[in-house]
Amino acid sequence: MQRLPLSYLKPGMKTYEEVYDAQGRVLCGKGVELTEEMIKRFYELGVSYVTVEGTPVKLPWEKSLEEELSELEKRFEGVNDENLLQIKEILKELLYEKYQASLSRS
Amino acid sequence: MKNIKQASLDPDLSEKRKEVKKKLKKLEGLPSLPPIIQRLNQMIEDERTSLHQIAELIEKDQVITTKILRLANSAFYGFPRKVSTVQQAMMLLGLNVLKILIMTSSIFEFIHKEDIGLWEHSIGVAACSKIIAEKIGLGDAQEIATAGLLHDLGRVVIRVIFKEDQQKISDLISQGVDPLSAEKKILGIDHAEIGAFLMAQWNLPERLIEAVAFHHNLENSKKFRKEASILHLADLLVHARGYGKTPYEGLPPFEVRALKYLGLGWGEIKEILFNLEPRLYELKFFTEELKKEISTENREP
Repeated sequence: MQRLPLSYLKPGMKTYEEVYDAQGRVLCGKGVELTEEMIKRFYELGVSYVTVEGTPVKLPWEKSLEEELSELEKRFEGVNDENLLQIKEILKELLYEKYQASLSRS
Repeated sequence: MKNIKQASLDPDLSEKRKEVKKKLKKLEGLPSLPPIIQRLNQMIEDERTSLHQIAELIEKDQVITTKILRLANSAFYGFPRKVSTVQQAMMLLGLNVLKILIMTSSIFEFIHKEDIGLWEHSIGVAACSKIIAEKIGLGDAQEIATAGLLHDLGRVVIRVIFKEDQQKISDLISQGVDPLSAEKKILGIDHAEIGAFLMAQWNLPERLIEAVAFHHNLENSKKFRKEASILHLADLLVHARGYGKTPYEGLPPFEVRALKYLGLGWGEIKEILFNLEPRLYELKFFTEELKKEISTENREP
């Protein structure tokens, strides 16, 4: 699954979850193939992001889990304050969870 | 780590400090505030003016309208719905925030490609500050987000108007001096104080000024210690997550008492970081777009 702003949506992509408007009304169910008209309607109704199946768009700034973890280590290099290390642990947990989720769902 | 209290500034530095403040007062070399700000101030003071009239004034200015809508829609305010008119932005953000958006967008316009990391960092801190403010139930979270956006304003100003000094500061940092001391050594004043000084010149709310002034120096904050602590914590968390770029290669100095001032435990810090992640993901699209725009602008003669 991949969360994308409207400008990245293309007809043929499939919704991974329901699309809601600001009032919480469902505009489109999950597993639905997007059409040009639907995307236009999302614009009109003020939707900002839609989560689609798979990872159809390669985002040049996205990193792999390994890259994320090694950069995290670098940022915390030489840190031995236990409070800061606590934050590092939370971030590690967050990264593992984030990448696990995208693995099991895609 | 103990903060070594700096002995009184040597005479050269206190001269330099005066010079910096003088320059700031006259706003020399700074982009002048758009004339619309003055009109806006008058209208806001005049109680007979309706919000509708104010929106109309702003909408006459295409460039500013575009900027406002773009900032209001960037995920750091996190509205579920697209903000498509100035009036909507005004209702969602309040007049004060709107005024600040107009001012800052004219400052940040001077940011160059290599500086966009700082802008990115500021936007991340804005988003995180808002999440923390909401977590502890502090009033007007929008305003706190805006303080987050402005917390490094002084750094932007140094880069724009004190270019030579900026070079000296960078040299010191690359020799291993920590960024705050480097600023003080060269300018006699650090970026937090510069930002707050300028914000005071602009008559921004005291709450914002104090938060920015003391975001590296919580002990000295008075009325708005929570606000300053929010910026301090947000600054750390955004660095820790590696979002944006600042003079710090790793982490900025952290005062753990910020957590005590805010009444936050580790469980809550975890929630804050987990709430921040999707915000940063969305913001990335916005800042990448900006980067692209800036690099095409720079290419044109």
